[in-house]
Amino acid sequence: MKHVCRSTTLEKLAKLAFAGAMLSLMAGCSIYSLPGSEPAPVEPDAQSAPSTSQPAQTPVTPTSPDVAPDPNANNAYGALLQQAEQARNKGDYERALTLLERAQRIDPDSGEVYLHLARTYQAKGDLTMQHATAERGLLYCNGSSECSALRALSR
Amino acid sequence: MKASLVHSHAMTRTQRPFIKLFIAGLLAFAVVMIYLDARITSTFSEKRWELPAKVYARPLELFVGARLDADDLAYELSLLGYRKVRQATQPGQVGRAVGRFDIYTQGFDFPGEREPARRIKLSISGGKVAGLQSGGSGLDLLRLDPVQIGGIYPSHGEDRVLVRLKDLPETLWRGLLATEDQNFFSHWGFSITGIARAAFSNVRSGQVVAGGSTITQQLVKNYYLTPERTIVRKLTELLMAMLLELHYDKEEILESYVNEIYLGQQGPRAIHGFALAARHYFNTPVEQLGLHQQALLVGMIKGPSLYNPRRNPERAIQRRNVVLDLMAEQGVISAEHATIARAMPLGLNAAPSSVRDTFPAFLDLVRRQLREEYRQEDLATLGLNIFTSFDPLLQRQLENSTSTVLDSLDAGGELESASVVTRFDTGEVAALVGGRRVSYAGFNRALDARRPAGSLLKPAIYLAALEQPERYTLATPLSDTKVEVTGANGQVWEPRNFDRKEHGQVILHTALAKSYNLATARLGMNLGIDTVVDMLRRLGIRGPIPEVPALTLGAGEYSPVAMAVMYQAIAAGGYRMPLRSIRDIVDAQGEPLRRYVLAYDRTVSIQAVHLLHYAMREVVREGTGRGVYRYLPAQFAVAGKTGTTNDGRDSWFAGFSGDLLTVTWIGRDDNGSTGLTGSTGALKVWAHFMARSAQRSLGYRMPEGIETHWIDEPTGALTGKGCPNARMLPFVSGSQPVTRTGCAPQESRIKNWFQSLFGGDE
Repeated sequence: MKHVCRSTTLEKLAKLAFAGAMLSLMAGCSIYSLPGSEPAPVEPDAQSAPSTSQPAQTPVTPTSPDVAPDPNANNAYGALLQQAEQARNKGDYERALTLLERAQRIDPDSGEVYLHLARTYQAKGDLTMQHATAERGLLYCNGSSECSALRALSR
Repeated sequence: MKASLVHSHAMTRTQRPFIKLFIAGLLAFAVVMIYLDARITSTFSEKRWELPAKVYARPLELFVGARLDADDLAYELSLLGYRKVRQATQPGQVGRAVGRFDIYTQGFDFPGEREPARRIKLSISGGKVAGLQSGGSGLDLLRLDPVQIGGIYPSHGEDRVLVRLKDLPETLWRGLLATEDQNFFSHWGFSITGIARAAFSNVRSGQVVAGGSTITQQLVKNYYLTPERTIVRKLTELLMAMLLELHYDKEEILESYVNEIYLGQQGPRAIHGFALAARHYFNTPVEQLGLHQQALLVGMIKGPSLYNPRRNPERAIQRRNVVLDLMAEQGVISAEHATIARAMPLGLNAAPSSVRDTFPAFLDLVRRQLREEYRQEDLATLGLNIFTSFDPLLQRQLENSTSTVLDSLDAGGELESASVVTRFDTGEVAALVGGRRVSYAGFNRALDARRPAGSLLKPAIYLAALEQPERYTLATPLSDTKVEVTGANGQVWEPRNFDRKEHGQVILHTALAKSYNLATARLGMNLGIDTVVDMLRRLGIRGPIPEVPALTLGAGEYSPVAMAVMYQAIAAGGYRMPLRSIRDIVDAQGEPLRRYVLAYDRTVSIQAVHLLHYAMREVVREGTGRGVYRYLPAQFAVAGKTGTTNDGRDSWFAGFSGDLLTVTWIGRDDNGSTGLTGSTGALKVWAHFMARSAQRSLGYRMPEGIETHWIDEPTGALTGKGCPNARMLPFVSGSQPVTRTGCAPQESRIKNWFQSLFGGDE
């Protein structure tokens, strides 16, 4: 009896979830929620395909190749950066790095996090990692002050 | 006087042997007692807290904007043992209505920081966390407790989750006493009536069958004694029980008992203690067990296998109800409560708990890393907490993609597969599949398969070339024509293209994108095999590399993990870093022992890697890897490379998005032909997985010292935008060609994938 109840609730949930998924699909807000009717994975063997070099013009209209950083990601790890800075000022570099690595996992594309990392390695006296993090941060930096700070640390 | 003296003398003489014997016996007894006492006092405290190391997955970070599927969150919560309820009122409960979650988190002691238990409201829409609140106000960031994915167990396989007596439901331990040892709080470690009863039945049956053991005796038996039933062993047990009672108070003994008691088996893993049993059988924290569940656990003590609720549900219910009756009789619970509980089903969770051997391949990786620094004995007893980068959500998808694609490729089940997924910006391994039977702890192909890499090695050759911008650029013409190399032993090596054709003059980027063997072999020979070997070393390949011309086409033996190391360095922009699976190790008291630091060093020019990225993006847009876009949305940028070995023995694909690097291999254990190429086999697993798991498109980030130019395709000369056969390519500044076609730039509205990366006009 109990089982029956549970399964119907589950069914309802599943239906709702499916409806929600379809809605969000229509809204087209997620890049990786693929249509349920995905084409069957048949694939011409590209290697044996005619090798006439045709520049395959990918008919993509609105380009959002680089997914914009999540607007709230900064809120999420802002507190971590503050704590990391405090730890660094106190000379507790390990704690600072732990916090910064956590922040980086939340937003791996943040130049700001790289800048904090590079500064912490600088304070710690780890020149190799200071250069490495600053140089990688340069690929992600935003705004001239952040970029020039990273550039200075990368050398 | 004299007579009596003589008499007494004679008497002493006759009695002396008995006294001697008595004294000797007394001494022997004292020695035994001292020995037993020493054994108890020296090991009881240790044994009480002897704990296997626990291995944890990464904690799930929740914040507004975090990409997360509602079903994935539900799965994570189910792995964590959260119970589904209407309204979460206690830690460990979750209520869900489609994308709205009402979660009472369990809280967790992370290294250096406690995440408190709290009730949160979370909403997910469009695959993202849309709202996160706690106590009516917005919450910036929250970590769920991490899933325990396994443990490092002693050879006897005992596992337990420790619980303090005060945290157990009172009805549970009182029910235990009502059933097993009613006079526990008043006896001295043994029960006269129990022994008498046991002795009587033993005499009647002519052998030692019945126990009549108190809780203390049972504990002694489990801790110190072998299970055989002899009088001597029984006496030892009795003495040790008394000694234990002398040294420790009742609460300590009871607390040890509830953590020690054996309650079942899961493969090689022995379930000890109520807390672990609660998770194992009910997937519920022991604090939250219902009366019917508590009674079942208490009842199982008598025979964990006989009353195993999964195997013998009828017998288990009967036994449980006996316990409930006893509990009511002894006043532990009311008769009404007992009646209600008797009417309940067993209340088991659907599947056995997910701990241990559910993720054997990843645990294998963790164990190997641990063994480099820790003794097995310490790992199995010190109660270390090991925090890893394992991502259960990625793992589930990887397993799902592996089985879905392999089942479609080969219903016969002869193909094997292995995959490695890393987050390449930190080098952390997030998921690992070591074989088609993912929950089987067997040969771990991701770590131990040794296979030729085929074209998967080619990027290293092109990278070595692109590091010499004065000699090679993406636009350098190469000759894809017949090549013969005579080796030192006189053998002739004569590679062929996959399509058995020669393509004449080809441009460098095309040769990689289309995986032309002749052009690549020539390029590698011109660079020099030692240059190629040097590049492979700089990309992190360890172990032997054959210094032969065939290396240019992937000769040698490489594991999927070794390929992940190499592609990791490429994906990360030329930084070599060791693959990491462990983040932190914390001791049983919560003190951080070791942090595995992020460490990378630049070993390859960032500009050269950038150019290689172009060619690897082209692989999936125009080359051998085009099949990925049957799975991925067209605007989602990735880069990758296919690999196929002779006769289709190995099918490889390696590639990355903006967040994940995945390497997949398909082949047969007997090294037979699979009939697959990289693109008809491994690519499908890769793309099936990435389409569902990769969250960030591969961003285009131009390092300093790179500029783009328009190139005339067949000749490699500079040309104007919009000219016939014009293609925009990146160059190390100053390395662009000097010859020009003379075609003036023209208006063109057509953009290829590369121009699209720039968004606006170029």
